Amino acid sequence: MSYQRTTQFKTQRQGNWNRNQNTVAFASNIKLGPVTHTVLVALMITVLGLIYLTQATRATGYDYEAQKIDDKIADLTTQKTDLEVENARLTALESVQNSSVAKNMTKPAQTDYVSE
Amino acid sequence: MQLDLKKGSRPRILAIMTLVIMAVFVARLFYLQILQHDYYVAQANAEQLKRLVIPAKRGEIYAMDDGTPVKLVLNETVYTVFADPTEVDQPRQIADMIERIAGGNVRSDLSGLLAKKDTRYQILATKVTRRQAEMMKRQNLKGIGFQQESQRVYPEGQLAAQTLGFVNADGQGKYGIEQALNQQLTGKDGLLQSVTDVSNVPLTIGNNNIDKPAKNGENVVLTLDRNIQSYTEKSLTNGLQAIKNRLKSSTMPDGSVMVMDPQTGKILAMANMPTYSPADYNKVQNAAAFNNATISAPYEPGSDVKTLTMATGVDKGVVGPNDTYNNTDFIKVEDRTITNATKGQTGNITFQHALNYSLNTGFVTVAERLGDGNNITLDARNTMYQYFHDRLGLGGLTGIELAGESPGTVIPPTDPDGGAVRYSNMAFGQGLDVTMIQVCSAFSAVINGGTYHIPSVVAGAMSDDGSVFIPAAPKASRANMVSASTSATMVDMIQKARAAFYAGQDKRGYYIGGKTGTSQTIENGQYVDNQTIGTYLGFGGSSAGDPKYVIMVQVSGKGMNLAGNTDAMPIFTDISNWLLDYMKLQPKG
Repeated sequence: MSYQRTTQFKTQRQGNWNRNQNTVAFASNIKLGPVTHTVLVALMITVLGLIYLTQATRATGYDYEAQKIDDKIADLTTQKTDLEVENARLTALESVQNSSVAKNMTKPAQTDYVSE
Repeated sequence: MQLDLKKGSRPRILAIMTLVIMAVFVARLFYLQILQHDYYVAQANAEQLKRLVIPAKRGEIYAMDDGTPVKLVLNETVYTVFADPTEVDQPRQIADMIERIAGGNVRSDLSGLLAKKDTRYQILATKVTRRQAEMMKRQNLKGIGFQQESQRVYPEGQLAAQTLGFVNADGQGKYGIEQALNQQLTGKDGLLQSVTDVSNVPLTIGNNNIDKPAKNGENVVLTLDRNIQSYTEKSLTNGLQAIKNRLKSSTMPDGSVMVMDPQTGKILAMANMPTYSPADYNKVQNAAAFNNATISAPYEPGSDVKTLTMATGVDKGVVGPNDTYNNTDFIKVEDRTITNATKGQTGNITFQHALNYSLNTGFVTVAERLGDGNNITLDARNTMYQYFHDRLGLGGLTGIELAGESPGTVIPPTDPDGGAVRYSNMAFGQGLDVTMIQVCSAFSAVINGGTYHIPSVVAGAMSDDGSVFIPAAPKASRANMVSASTSATMVDMIQKARAAFYAGQDKRGYYIGGKTGTSQTIENGQYVDNQTIGTYLGFGGSSAGDPKYVIMVQVSGKGMNLAGNTDAMPIFTDISNWLLDYMKLQPKG
């Protein structure tokens, strides 16, 4: 197996060399074969897939948070309703009439009216 | 870069294998995703996509309390506790726990129910409160579940039962306002369509999610004042008990009372006995208890209709309170002889006198004077029909927002049965079938200056959170049904009719008027002598020109001779005297 490649990496900047400008030439000694390329591509795809899954899982995690909040709202609404019912029972006419305050009330002996 | 894959080399083999595997995958995916697309989407949706109904909250019902809306009907979340006997491993502990916590709502023989291993659903307790359900859940006993539902709650118990109606097990309003405004009160269920996980938690993934919120039912505010309603019901119960005691009867008579604001047509109270508790509607033995007799039970109202006959005569200018006629205690109409119930007031007497003593002959004379003076001619009958039916609404639906209203019957003069004899009877309140609400509304028009208000029990609505009262638009009214001067004359006559005999019963300084009514009843098509209905119809206020309330009382009973003055009037007087204080009216007279 053999393939050709340039031994020097020539940048655009290098092509337009001017005075007082630094240039760096990269020349990698690592040679990557086709199997390595394939593996690397597969790894990149895997990483991208994992990133997607992480994001999707995170979004689903928010759904659970939202559901918890919804459940809490529903629970508090139920509690509020129960308290309203309790309040209505406590302020019902019969409850008021049977209260100790009402029982201690007396009829006025005389009623005076102020002129309108 | 140029790849040089030599034949038989490892990379070449790897590339070929990869291509083959990829081709297999592509082919399989093409089959699954393209060819079988619809099938698998349907399967996935069936498994993952859930349609959850978001139940709309039924609207609450309010009554007034001295002008402030207060809740009369609410919703409460309750739970049905059920068990899957195949999952239950501690039946004894479950039975003990449920009996200890749920108390009276527990099914009998819990151990037996839990032992039915061939079933997977057994109801153990119903109508368990949230607090009780939470206590049970904390026990972590295997095999029991909780089903949440909403039920109506009535903190005032039986108050205004027939006006309210009830909600049956299917969530449908029955009787009263619950039935009449069922659609308005029900609201519209919402829909949540979403992909869910195994615990039915909705997830945002998926393209077919729908989140349509529920539209709660409207909160309705009634015109009923709960204090007036409560006092009216107590007064009616006491009055009926007094009748029962007086007659030494084993059964309680029936009775109805209506309190109306004559200036608006708003109903302040509607009471009926027998009654029931809407929370326990399924325990009612006598279905008649569901009926609101004030709107659904037409009857011959008797002499209180004489006020309407007199108003017709005065408005047409044929009679006045001080005009006279010759009373002989009987009067002939065609082949029939009509007599007075009270005899001895003979000679030339005024129509005011006739009203005071409720003399039938006087009002048959009014009907005759609407004709040629001696006969109840077709013109006279047409005039009476026009006033009674067309102007004052007798014999027709009033349009009140309650289920079960009956139109009653006022036979027109064009009907073969609408002859002079019929109309002579109608002049004193027999021969027509009308409901209390019709009579009350007509009477209110006669005494309020002449405006007929369509009666109403709906004052408005409350905002969804119950904080803002939105008044209803005023209902249509018909002005000048009788002239203002006729109305003033009638107010004076009706006040004198009460003052002639019963003034001492009213609080001093107020302007109270009223008219008794005692009507015969028909059994098997014949008037019977042993059963009469007592009615009292009157108004009250500080002064003649400003009546604040109209009260109509009706009492009846199987085989009971009940009279307007002895049986219905005491209830009127009791409520009237209480109302003067409750409404903070100042004495002026």
